[in-house]
Amino acid sequence: MTALLSNTLAGLRHRPGRTILAALGTALGIATIVALLAVAGGAKHSAGDLVHLGASDLGLFQKDAADPTTSILPTSLVGSLRRTPGIADATPLVLLVDDIPKAAGAVAFGAEPGGFLTKRLVFTSGHLYRARDEIVVGDGLARRLHVAPGATLRIRGRPLRVVGIYHIGVAYQDSGVFMPLATAQGISDRHGEATVIPIKLAVGTRPATVKREIGRRIPGILVISDPEEATRAGANGQLVSKAALVIAVLALVIGGIGVMNTMLMSVVERRAEFALLSAVGWSAPQVAGRVLIEGVATALIGAAIGLLLGVIGAQLLINVLGAEQFVSPQLTAWDFGRALLVGVLIGVLGGLYPAWRAAQVSPAKVLAQH
Amino acid sequence: MRGARVVIDHVSRAYGRSVVLSDVSFVVEPGELMALTGPSGSGKTTLLQLIGSLDRPTEGRILVDDVSVGELTRPAHFRRETVGFVFQLHYLLPALTVEQNVELPLVAARVPRRERGHRSLELLDEVGLGRRAGSLPADLSGGERQRVAIARALAGRPRLVLADEPTGSLDSVASRKVWDLLGDVRARHGTTVIIASHDAMLAERVDRALRLMDGRLLPPAAAQRTREEVA
Repeated sequence: MTALLSNTLAGLRHRPGRTILAALGTALGIATIVALLAVAGGAKHSAGDLVHLGASDLGLFQKDAADPTTSILPTSLVGSLRRTPGIADATPLVLLVDDIPKAAGAVAFGAEPGGFLTKRLVFTSGHLYRARDEIVVGDGLARRLHVAPGATLRIRGRPLRVVGIYHIGVAYQDSGVFMPLATAQGISDRHGEATVIPIKLAVGTRPATVKREIGRRIPGILVISDPEEATRAGANGQLVSKAALVIAVLALVIGGIGVMNTMLMSVVERRAEFALLSAVGWSAPQVAGRVLIEGVATALIGAAIGLLLGVIGAQLLINVLGAEQFVSPQLTAWDFGRALLVGVLIGVLGGLYPAWRAAQVSPAKVLAQH
Repeated sequence: MRGARVVIDHVSRAYGRSVVLSDVSFVVEPGELMALTGPSGSGKTTLLQLIGSLDRPTEGRILVDDVSVGELTRPAHFRRETVGFVFQLHYLLPALTVEQNVELPLVAARVPRRERGHRSLELLDEVGLGRRAGSLPADLSGGERQRVAIARALAGRPRLVLADEPTGSLDSVASRKVWDLLGDVRARHGTTVIIASHDAMLAERVDRALRLMDGRLLPPAAAQRTREEVA
């Protein structure tokens, strides 16, 4: 097996141009998968931040919302939630996405000044808003827009006065703004409504117990305690996950056809080589195995290039979508593993038919022709 | 090691209506160095391919040490164990070193790495190319490549070597070396060697020459005349 492998790899090294071109076909498919997985992972991470906004333990969302940011809940639920045993606090929150000029992807949070979410804001200058036309700006966004207390920011066309610059340590929150809940409701025309209701549990309370209790009492809502649930709950999150799956299948098909095409050309050009191998005693499975190893090795080289391109591509994709404030690419070892697995599958699927063809080469015909 | 005994028994080979070999019969004794002569298209190559199990006869049978070659279920295994081929073109794999090329039959036979290396270097010494083991075929002359091909044919320690026009693309000096080498193979290993060739130099070096014409074996008297003419 080692000799077969080293012989095959020597063949690939002997034709570097062809090997790299064949590998690039696979690389593009793998890069797309990696980029999508990275974006999906980043979105999940952001969803996790959203669920645990302001150090909350649970997030209450509308069931079947396209994604967590499009959920709509009545603020009247807050009073009832605060009275629920095991819940220490609950506060309504309105999210406005993409409403700040020159700050694509930045999020505006509408929160009650006395709620537990705003208590975690650490001010580097100025103070928390006290009037309905006041806002505070995260230090990341302030640097980006060059604003300081006293400046005016227009959100959906409404002028709001900057009264403080805060830092909270969560990238997408530091790249956004906080404003009074009533102001956010007014701007979005959602009077009496919130996007999400973050919940803080009393010490010693099990999240599952409270989730069950809230779910029983309030139909049509979704209580989320971890980022995985947030991604599953949002239709957009599901869409990204499904898109990654579809791309993986497409990569398998397109990459497989690419590898097969290149390998077939290679087999046709090298018929004399396979005829010779057969003449010196290589069995059909041994000849086929040589071609299959070539296919898998080529696809693995492609997968390695694809992983690199995918990581770069994910960041580019997020930049192009203007979502860099909200999502940063996240890749796990399992994501890399999946991409490599697809690479191996591409090599095997793409190499099967050429391997069969190589094994069928008749030494009598080919060697006589030469 | 004893060479193989080859029995060609009323063998014919046709491709559609085209008859390439017709009712050919002869016996090659173990350790014999035999030539098959005849003009292009006379059926020499086809006969060698049939003996080497690269093809099957349409009629008759071929026995190599009592094994009916045309009925083999694993011909590759038979070739690996019994036959060594030398072709007019060397068919060395350009990406592999000389040593790796010689090892190819041993890779198929799953011979351990150490033994493969030992055996291939020994054979390369035997053909006078021990120092070129690490070279690529592109760095060798035509004659050297053919000698590597002979070493490759011997790597599996075959009882039968089939050489099809082994000097067809070589000059006279290189051809002489190849003929010497094939003679040495028989002398040292007792291998049966069957050579198909036009080469006049061959006549004086073989035990026996059979002549094919239009797919038929010429009677010995006619073949003898032809041989004398060639010589």
